[in-house]
Parts: sequence; structure tokens; C-alpha cells
Amino acid sequence: MSFWKRFARNRQAVLGMFILALVILMALFAGAFYPDDPFRLAGKPLAPPGTSGFLLGSDSLGRDVASGIAHGAKTSIMIGLVATVAAVFIGVIFGALSGYYGGKIDDALMRVTEMFQTIPSFVFAILLVAIMKPSIESIVIAITVVSWPGVARLVRGEFLALKNREFVQACHTLGMGDIQIMLREILPNCVSPIIVVGSLMVATAILIESGLAFLGLGDPNIMSWGFQIGAGRTMLRSAWWVCTFPGIAILVTVLAINLVGEGLNDALNPRLRERQ
Amino acid sequence: MKRLIQGAVLASSIIASSFTALAQTDGGTLVYLAQPEPPTLASYVSTSGPIGLVAPKIYEGLFDYDTEGKMIPVLAKSVDVSADGKTVTFTLQDGVVWHDGTPFTSADVKFSVMEVLSKVHPRGPNSFREVESIDTPDDTTAVFHLKNPAPYMLRALSGYESPMVPKHLLEGTDIKSADLANNPIGTGPYKFTEWKKGQYIRLDKNEDYWKEGLPHVERVVARFIPDASTRTAAMENGEVLYTGYNGIPNIDAVRLRDRDDISVTTDGYSMINPMALLEFNTKEGPFTDPAVRRAISNAIDRQFMIDTIFFGYGKPASSALSSSFAATDLYKPMPNYPAAGDVEAAKKILDDAGYKPDGDGVRMKAILDVIPYGEDWRRAGEYLKQALGDIGIEIELRYEDVPTWLKRVYHNYDFVMNLNYFYQLPDPVLGVHRHYGTDQIRQGTHFVNSSRYSNPKLDALLDAGAKEPDAAKRSAIYEDVQEILAEDMPVVNLFEMQFLTVYNTKLKGVYGSAMGPYGSFSEGWLEE
Repeated sequence: MSFWKRFARNRQAVLGMFILALVILMALFAGAFYPDDPFRLAGKPLAPPGTSGFLLGSDSLGRDVASGIAHGAKTSIMIGLVATVAAVFIGVIFGALSGYYGGKIDDALMRVTEMFQTIPSFVFAILLVAIMKPSIESIVIAITVVSWPGVARLVRGEFLALKNREFVQACHTLGMGDIQIMLREILPNCVSPIIVVGSLMVATAILIESGLAFLGLGDPNIMSWGFQIGAGRTMLRSAWWVCTFPGIAILVTVLAINLVGEGLNDALNPRLRERQ
Repeated sequence: MKRLIQGAVLASSIIASSFTALAQTDGGTLVYLAQPEPPTLASYVSTSGPIGLVAPKIYEGLFDYDTEGKMIPVLAKSVDVSADGKTVTFTLQDGVVWHDGTPFTSADVKFSVMEVLSKVHPRGPNSFREVESIDTPDDTTAVFHLKNPAPYMLRALSGYESPMVPKHLLEGTDIKSADLANNPIGTGPYKFTEWKKGQYIRLDKNEDYWKEGLPHVERVVARFIPDASTRTAAMENGEVLYTGYNGIPNIDAVRLRDRDDISVTTDGYSMINPMALLEFNTKEGPFTDPAVRRAISNAIDRQFMIDTIFFGYGKPASSALSSSFAATDLYKPMPNYPAAGDVEAAKKILDDAGYKPDGDGVRMKAILDVIPYGEDWRRAGEYLKQALGDIGIEIELRYEDVPTWLKRVYHNYDFVMNLNYFYQLPDPVLGVHRHYGTDQIRQGTHFVNSSRYSNPKLDALLDAGAKEPDAAKRSAIYEDVQEILAEDMPVVNLFEMQFLTVYNTKLKGVYGSAMGPYGSFSEGWLEE
């Protein structure tokens, strides 16, 4: 059965994929629908949804909530992807070295990993952003730093399981170097779990970014969903729409990514599914 | 008989009017909100707002002021000014002791004024500029000898503005870094007990307080709650009883004022006269040219900021001086302060000065530092970014915590544009001179001339204004001052702020001081 067929067997995953595609399209075409800066004071402050030309209302300064959501999608997706790619990169290096070589190298690298894992990730992210100046770079760095240990442990497990298999031993006999074996033989065989974990990590990254922005630790010069919620939360009782719509955007996006991750898991590890 | 009663009432109570047949209940804990958390409690070194919310409960001044501005005796029983205005004699209260048991004497007054306030306090050198020497013939008499008459000095004697500090603990130490900053010892109604960083400061009743029968409450707790809606919720469910200086955002205050158990007032700020403004670095960066600063002043829709961010509480600035100085005929409205902004005029100023926009319409780029005192200021920063973007000044916003921000602006001068507010206080000599005078370029001192603007002509006028006893002549001098500042604009005034105090009606007795939340709360009591 092909990958797509297996993926499509999971209806929820298809729905997730559809929603995610919409979010990505929104991020890509935010500039076309809302060519103005989302921070621009577009009109009457605190206009309810559907009035004064605001689809989803305006916030306390008269900024368009809908425009903020569209442009915020770009920030969320971008931060989610960049942080995930960086975390996977670091995690794979740590996990591969530690799983492949074992022994002292394994001990040393895993102790470092555990050190990062023992600190609650969101608190750690707050700390890192507070120490560095809140900016898009520092947020990506913080999310990466708190996310990579999970990948490292996963990759280490896969490498431990694969390194004694016949095809790896055959490579040794043929005289291939360690790095070549790791990159060309073992790594391709554990790509599927990495993809699954990575897809779920994008969702976590988006949540962390929103949380940081909500607490006022976002980049003040970049529109994001967390910023919108943070800026609107003081007036939740008098202007519910300011933080409700960005909240729904986060909910739907994170849910969609989780569904897609679930579907990828089913499609890439069919044996797991059959065992259930 | 009537006079006798009046005398007794005045002697025993700051708030004569609230002294009713109803007895004040003793005991209880007065929890109030301080926002944000103060960096230290060294009110003799910094006038930073949050310090003022806590320190005046511990340190007292010579006098307090009632809501009409009348002087109320605190550490000084009375004051006598000689006919030529150059000798001011304070008679101190008897039997006052510091919280550590050491007696408070005129030597402490002399030390506080000459060694502390005149040297390291942001505004002290101005308030006490004419003080040449202080004689202390006995423990309860302090005689100030002035070079020139200085009537404004008597407006600057409150526990917030000019706290009396213990000589025996500060003498011979480096006052700016003394340990007293975190373990304050004062003469006030409440003693410092505990500071749980990030949560609260606890003060306990001073059992040896010099004023008989006071204070009423056992304990005063200043709580820090960083999140605005949590603060509002705490006020609503009675967890906290009092907060000033917009600790509750205006949007919530507007809603809470309709409740029976909660009231809102703009009283208690008449000695403060707060002005929101932009400070510029006039020595480095893109704002060294006065034309750019003038353009910025023209570009800003001040009324919009007041209406949308502060819910109508405020008044557009129209000069370097607040319009409340109209009472003493010092204020004159000036050009370059359009209330609703004039983008075209602003662009023209920039065009004429040779700042041409590039392909993206950008003439220059700058970082705007934003005062870290809450959400409203962030919104104001976001508004300014947009408004200045419209005239081609691309702004990047920077938010930092209070100590980092103070250090950046007043220690390192590592900024180009800073959104801030200053207190103009009851006289320009006290609140405005410190912003512009060359002698007020004092690195490391907070809330003085961080713009490093220096203009000998203005210095001479400020000097003359401080000494001029004739009202008409003084008015003419300050008109010149305002004209120069409307042209040079080292600081762009945005709007005259109106602060709100939100309080639970269960809390009585803390509303009679002109200092409002910066008062001592010595008369406060809680209704059962």
C-alpha cells in the first residue's frame, strides 16, 4: 500500500492536513489579503466583528484582528518550522553519536541531555528569552534548546536497535567509515519516527511561542497570535473578540498539526497500527 | 471651646474632616497593590514610582500636604520663615525614634538635606538649591540658611519627595549603594519586616510611633501582581484594598467604579502633576537635530492616545509646562503641539531639514525604549511606532525590566528615544528644571536630564525663574523658557496624565493627603 493510501485511511489526519494547508495558505497570502502592516491603526478601536469594515473586529488601538491572525500565521509557522528543524538537527547529532558509539560517549551525551530534560521546558524557555532580549531569534533559540532532548533520546534508541543489524555489520566488513554508516545506512532507516516526532514538535513550538508572547516576551515588532491574545486579555470582558479569534487560530492549528502527526505515524509505521 | 476642639482635632489627625464620632477600629492587614515591584526601597536615591508606593510608609518627611495643598506637620511641628525669606526655622516633634531605637534629631535633618537629598537625590539638588547651611542649635530645631528666598522648597518636604534618613546608618558609607536600600530604617508608622521578591513587601505597625494612637492597622502588605487582569480580579474579590497610579487598568477601573464596594478617584495626585513624554538623546543617534524632534511632536495624535489607551483620562500637552501651571500664570500654549497631530506639517519639517525618504518611504530608523510600567505603555509604544512610521521614521520597540531600563537611560545613556513620564510637581523649579538644566546632566541619577541637552541661554532663564519673587516677571521668564523648548524640544511632551486610585470602601482614612498613594497611610483603618 502506498504512503498516501495509508495516510488517507485516517480520516482525521486528512482533515488535519486540510486545515493545515489552509493555515499555510493564509500565511503565504497574508500580504495579498492584508497588504498593510498588521500593526497599522486601521480604524475605530474596539469595533465588534463585522462592523466598521473589520471582519473579526479591531483591538484597543484599532488594529484589524483578522489581519493580525493572517500575518501571525506566518510567524507561528515560521517559528514552528525553524525551531523544529534546528532541534531535530541537534537531536540527531547527539542521539546518533550516543547510540552508535555507546560507552563513555553515550554516558556523557545522555547526562547532558538529561540535564536539559529535567528543567520544565516552558519555564526554561521563559528564562532563556528573558536573559537574551525578546526577539524572534532568541525565541527560536529558546524553543530549540528546550525541544532537542526528546529527539536525541529517540534517535539514540533507534541507533542502538539498528547498529547490530546484519546490514550494518556488512557495511563494517566492507570497510565503510563510521560517519558514512551513520548517515547513509542507519539514519535513513529511522527517518519515519523522526518525522512523526518532528511534526508534533511544530505544534509544541507554536504553543511555546504563543505562551511567550502572551507573557510579553514575544518580539514586540512582529505580529503573532500570542501577542494578540496578550494585548487583548485585559479587555476580555468588554471586547471578547480581541483574544478569542487568535485563540481559536492557535487551537485549530495545533490540533491540525497533531492530527497530521498522528496520520504520519500510522502511515510510516504500519506495523505499529496492525499490532494495535 | 469650639476653638479648643478644633485644635485637638488638628493636632491628632491629618484628615480633620474624616474625624467623626465613629471610632476607628484597630488591627487588621491592609493589602494594597504596588505595580511594578520596586527595585529597592531607597527613596532618598531614586524617585522611581514604585519606590514611592512603599517607602513613604517607612520614611517620613518634615511635612505632608492636604488635598488643598495646606501643610500638615509631620516630623516638623512648625516652620517659621523670616521676613527676608532667607532663614527658615523648623521645630521638630519631640520623642521621635528611628525604627532601630535611635532618637531622631535635628542632626538627621541636616544630614538628610545636606549630604543625601542635595547630593544623590534626583530632585533634591533643585529643591534645596538655595540652602547654604543648616544650624542645629538643639535637638529639635533646624535652621536653614538660604542664599535666596526659595518658597518652592516648602512644597517639597513630603515623605515621598524629601524623606528624612538616619544619619547614624548612612554617614561614612557610599550612600548610593548602602544596605539601607533593602533594609530601610525610618521613623514612619510602619516598620520594614520582610521582602519576598516577586511577591510582596511586608511592613508591620511601628509600636513606638511618635503620634499617639497611630497607626491603626497591624500590618501593611504591598503585593506585586505582574498581570493586570489578575490585579483587577484581586481587587474585585477584596484580596487587595487599594491601588493607585493605574495599578488597575483604566478599562477595568471604568467597569469597577459602578460597584458599591469599590470607588475610583483622581484625587491624590495634585502635587505630582504627571506628564507623559518622549526623551531624546541629543548627543548621539538620529535625534540630535531639533527639527526631527519637532517633526515627531507634530506627528503624534495626542488625543488619540488619551482616548484609546487611557480611556479619556488625560489632556494633550501643549507646552513644556503642564497647563495646571496656569494657576500661577506660568503656562503658555506653544506651537508644535497639535492635539490631533499634523502629519503633513511633520513631513514638511523633515523634508525642509533634508531628510528624504528612501524607496520604502523610510527616512531614518531608531529604537524606542518603552517605560516598563505596564500594558498601557506598551500600547502607547505600539501607537508611536505606527505614528512615526507614517512620517518615515521606522521604529523598533524595546521592552526591558525596570533596573535594566533605568540603567540604560540614566547610567549608560545607551538610548536614542525613550517613552517615559515625569512628574512636574507643584512648581517648575521642582519638577521641570531637572529635565533641561545643564547642571541636571547627572549620570547615574534617575529622572533628570538624560537628553544631555545644554543651552546656556535656557540655564540663565531657569536660574532667574527660580529666584524671581515677582509673579509677573516670573511669568515672562517662563514664557521665554517655553518658547525655547518648543523650538529645541529635547523632550517632547505627549499628554498630561490623570492617574486613577481604585479602592475598596472598607479602607478608610488614607485619602486626605495630597500625596495619595505616595502618602504614609498612617491614619488608615479598616471597617469591620
